[in-house]
Amino acid sequence: MGGMRALTRAGAALLVAVCLLVVGCAGSGAGGDDGAEPYRIGAVLSLTGSYAGLGIPEKKAIDLEVARINEAGGINGREIEVIYEDDATDAAKAQAAAVRLIDEEGVLAIIGASGTGQTMAMRSDAERAGVPIISMAGGSVITDDFSEWVFQTPWPNRIVVPFVLKQMAAAGHTRVALISDTGGYGVDGRDYVLAHAEEAGVTLVADQTYNAGDTDMSSQMTKIRAADPDAVLIWAAGKEAAIIARNARQLNMEQPLYGGSGIARQEFIDGAAEAAEGVRLGTGRILVPEAFGEGTEAYNVATDFIARYEAEYGAKPDIFAGHAYDAIGLIADALGRIDGDVTSEALRDALEQTNGWIGIDGTFTYSANDHNGLTEDEMVLYIIDGGTWRLDD
Amino acid sequence: MDAAEFFQYVIAGLKSGSIYALVALGFTVVYGATGIINFAQGEFFMLGGVLAVWFHSLGLPLPVAGIAAVAATALLGVVFERVALRRQRSANPLVLVIITIGASMVIKSLARHLFGPDELSLQEFTPGPSIDVAGAAVERQALWVWGLTIVAVLVLAWLYRRTKLGRAMRACSISHDAARLMGIDTARVVMVSFGIAAALGALGGFAVTPLTQTSWDAGAAIGVKGFAAAILGGLGNPVATVIGGLVLGLLESLSVAFLSSTYKDAISLLVLLVVLFVRPQGLFGKARRGKV
Amino acid sequence: MSDVKGSRTLMTPHLALIAAAVAVAAVPLLTPDRYVLKVLVYVGVNVIVIAGLALLFGHAGQISMGHAAFVGIGAYTSAYLVKTLGAPWLVGAIAATMLAAAGGLVLALPALRLRGHYLAMATLGFNEIMYVVFREARAVTGGNDGLGGIPYPEVAGLRIDTPVGVYLLVWGVALLTLLLVTNILRSRPGRAMRALHATENGALACGIDTVGLKIRTFALSAALAGLAGALYAHGVGFISPTTFGLDQSVIYVAIVVVGGAGSLAGPVLAAVALTLLPYADALVPGLTKETIAVMQDWEADIYGLAMIAVVIFAPAGIGGLLRRASARRAGEVRG
Repeated sequence: MGGMRALTRAGAALLVAVCLLVVGCAGSGAGGDDGAEPYRIGAVLSLTGSYAGLGIPEKKAIDLEVARINEAGGINGREIEVIYEDDATDAAKAQAAAVRLIDEEGVLAIIGASGTGQTMAMRSDAERAGVPIISMAGGSVITDDFSEWVFQTPWPNRIVVPFVLKQMAAAGHTRVALISDTGGYGVDGRDYVLAHAEEAGVTLVADQTYNAGDTDMSSQMTKIRAADPDAVLIWAAGKEAAIIARNARQLNMEQPLYGGSGIARQEFIDGAAEAAEGVRLGTGRILVPEAFGEGTEAYNVATDFIARYEAEYGAKPDIFAGHAYDAIGLIADALGRIDGDVTSEALRDALEQTNGWIGIDGTFTYSANDHNGLTEDEMVLYIIDGGTWRLDD
Repeated sequence: MDAAEFFQYVIAGLKSGSIYALVALGFTVVYGATGIINFAQGEFFMLGGVLAVWFHSLGLPLPVAGIAAVAATALLGVVFERVALRRQRSANPLVLVIITIGASMVIKSLARHLFGPDELSLQEFTPGPSIDVAGAAVERQALWVWGLTIVAVLVLAWLYRRTKLGRAMRACSISHDAARLMGIDTARVVMVSFGIAAALGALGGFAVTPLTQTSWDAGAAIGVKGFAAAILGGLGNPVATVIGGLVLGLLESLSVAFLSSTYKDAISLLVLLVVLFVRPQGLFGKARRGKV
Repeated sequence: MSDVKGSRTLMTPHLALIAAAVAVAAVPLLTPDRYVLKVLVYVGVNVIVIAGLALLFGHAGQISMGHAAFVGIGAYTSAYLVKTLGAPWLVGAIAATMLAAAGGLVLALPALRLRGHYLAMATLGFNEIMYVVFREARAVTGGNDGLGGIPYPEVAGLRIDTPVGVYLLVWGVALLTLLLVTNILRSRPGRAMRALHATENGALACGIDTVGLKIRTFALSAALAGLAGALYAHGVGFISPTTFGLDQSVIYVAIVVVGGAGSLAGPVLAAVALTLLPYADALVPGLTKETIAVMQDWEADIYGLAMIAVVIFAPAGIGGLLRRASARRAGEVRG
C-alpha cells in the first residue's frame, strides 16, 4: 500500500462522513410555531463523568419542579419544557451542547452547567447568542469574572470562606491549618482563604493540598499536626474529604475540623463515620430547614420541596438539588414577570430584576452587577452530631 | 522533624504503597503470562470495593462479602479473557491493550449504572482507635491492608514456585512458544493469570474501601499508580513489583514531608522517568541480554 | 505495493484530495448550523492530531500515550502569546507548533531508547506531569478555571470570527496535514520508516539512521499536535487542563488502533467516527427523546463496546477493512 491509496481513502472517508452529517442535521431544527407552544429551556448537566453525583440530583429537582409548574397551569398559560444535554463532565461537550440548545432547540435560557469549568466553557457562545445561563456550579469565577449573561445559584466560595473563617476566629481558633484539593473547588477556596485570613483574624500555619483520587492524606495531616494549629480547615469535595477526617482521627489529632459546602453531603458523614462527629461546616440552610426559622416563608418553601422530593425519589434532596430548584424557580419567576414578547433578552432583564425571590439556597436579589444574589446572611454553621447535621450553638 | 514524625511519613507511604503494590502485582501477573498491559486492572480494584459494599448491603457478613467480591471479580477477569481476548491471541499486543481499554470503559460505566454515582462506604474490619508504634499512629485497617498484601504475595510466591500451574506460568513468561512446545496449556495459563490479576486488584479494593470509600470511578487513578509502580520495580517480576509499589508510596509521602504536596505526583513521576531513562528494565528488573 | 495498480484504476490521490476539499467546502453551503460546524471543528482538530500519531505509530513503530499534552502545550502557548501578550495569531500558532516540537524532541531523546510498554509509561508520565503544569502555572494557563476569551484566529489582517471561517481554517489545515503526511509516507524517509517498523535491525543494516528518524518523526507528530492545539484554542475560545489529560491521550491511541496501524485512511476515518459518536444523538435525525436519554446514559458503554468490537472483528482496524475491500474491487476490475 502506498500514500496515494491512503489519501484516496482518507478523502473518500471524509466525503462519506460529511454527507452523513449533512443529512443528519437537515432532519432536525424544524418545528411548527403556534401560540400554546411551551417555553423551551435548555439544561446542560453532568449526568455522567466525575460530576454525575451533582448532575443526577439536579436533573431530578428540575423534573420535579417543571412537573409542578406545568400541573399548576404553567406560566402565562404556557408550559415549560426542559431539554437536557449531558456534558459528561467535559468542557468541550458542554460548549457543543450549549450551541446545540441555542441554535437547534432555540432555547430561551440555559440552566447549567453542574461544574465551574463547563460553565465557563459555555459562556462565550451564550454571550454571543444573547442567551442567559444560570449556573449551578459554585466557582467564584462564574460571577466574579462578570458577564451580563451569566447568573449563579449556589453560594460561591467568595461568600462561604469568609463566613467560615469568621466563625473559626469567633470560636478562638486563630492558628488555622488548611488542606484543600487541587481541583477547581479547592483552589478557588484556597484563594479566598489566603485573601481573607488576615481580615477574619486568623493566621494560616499550614497550607497543604492533595489531588482528586488520592487514597491517603496522612502525610499531609502529619505535616499539619507538626504545625500545631488550633483548628483544621478542610476545603475539599468528594470522597477524599472523608479520608482527611479519618486521617486526622487516626493521627490522634484533637483539633476541631471545619469545612464548607463541599462536605455538606451525607456521603461525607457515611465515609468518615465516627471521624465525622464534631466536624463543623458552613453552608446554606437546607440541611436543617428549621434554620430558616419555623413558620417563615423560606421555611415553608424548603420543607415543601423536601417533602415532595422525598415522596418522588425516596431520598432527601441534597444541596445540588437545591441549586437546581433555585435555577428553574428563578427562571419561572422571571418568565412570569415579563410584559410583552418573551425573548432571551427580556428574560435576562427580568432575571436581573429578581428581588427577594425565596428559594432553597436563600433569598435572591440579582442586580446589574450582582448575578449571584446571595449574601453571607444565608450561611449557617452546622456541627455533625450522631450521624446528622444540627445547628452549631 | 523528630524521628516519630518521620516514621509517621514512612507509615503513610507504606500504606499507599502496599495498595499500589497489589494493583501493580495484577499488572505483572498478566504481563508475565501474556506480554500485554491490562488497562482494566484499575477497574478490578474498583469492583473489589464496590461489590463488597453491595454484598454487605445484601446482608452478608463482612468477611463473606469480601471473599464474594474477590471471587466475583476473579470470575469476571476469567470471563473477560475468554470472551474478549482469547480469540485475539495472535494479534498485535497493542490491539489487545485497546481491548482492555475498551473493557475498562465498559466496566466503569456499568458500575455506575448498577451502583450509582455516589461514594460507597464500608465499615472497618476491626474498628477501634489507632495503635501507637514507636510514636507513630497506625490505623487498624492499615494493618489489615499490610496483612492481606503479605498474604497475597506469599500465596503468589508459593503458586509460582511450588505448583505445576506456577511453573507453567513462569515458563510462559519466558517464552510462549517454547512453553507450548513443552506441552503446557498456555491458553489455560493466560486465563488463570487474568483471574489472579483480577483477584489481586479486588483484594486491594476491598481492603482499602473502609479507609477511603469507593465509587464507580475509583479505578482510573489507582490504575495509573499501579502501572507506574510495576514499571518502577520491574515489569514481570513479582518481588520487584511489590518493592516498586512501596517505593512509589514512600516517594509520594516524603515529597509531602520535604517538598510540596501539590507537586507530589509530578515529583514521583519525574523520579520514575529518570529511573526509566537510566535503567529501562526498572529498579530491580534484570537487564535483558542484548539491546534493550 | 501489489495493489497500487488497482488504485490507479479507481481514483488518483489528486482527485481524492480535490474530492475531500470539495466535501469540506460544501458543508457550510449545505448547512448553516453552528452546532454541526462546531462539532466538525473538533473532528478536524482530532484529524490533525491523529495524522501525526498514525505516522508515529503505524510507520515508525513508536507509541505515545502523551499526545494530549502536546495538544495542550500548543493550545496554551498560542493562547498566552495572543491573548495575554497580544502577539499576532500566526506568531502564536507557529510558536505553538515549534514549542510542541521542542517538547517532543526533549522527550524523544531519552525516551526513544525505550520500547513498547516502557515508552508507553514514559509518555504517560510526561502527560501527567504536563497536566500538573497546566493546572498549577496559573499565571499563564488560568489553572483549573481555564482560559477563556481567547481571540479568534487572524491571518493577514483578516479576522476569522464566523463559525464557517473557523471551520474552513481548521479543515484547510487538516487537509494540508494529510497531504504532508501522505508525501512523507511516499518519500524515501517514509519507506525507511516502514522498514523501521518491520525490522529495526534490517533497517540498520540498510544504512538507515533509525534513531535520527525516530526522533524526527516523534518531533513532527508532536508539532502537529501542537498546531492542532493552537487551532482548538482559538477556534473554541476556551481551554482548561481536563481537555489535555491522560484520558484524551488514551482515546487518541485507541483511535489509531481502531483505525488500523499501518494505514492513514483508517485512523482518519476512525477519528471522524469516534469524535462524532458522543454527538450522534443530536446528529442522527428521528431519534426520540427517550432514545437520546438512554444513549447519553450508556454512551461510555457504547464507546467501549464499539472499540472492542472493531478490534475483535477487524484486528487490522478500519484500514484493514478498506484494504480488503479495495483489493477485491481491484480484482474485479482486472478480471
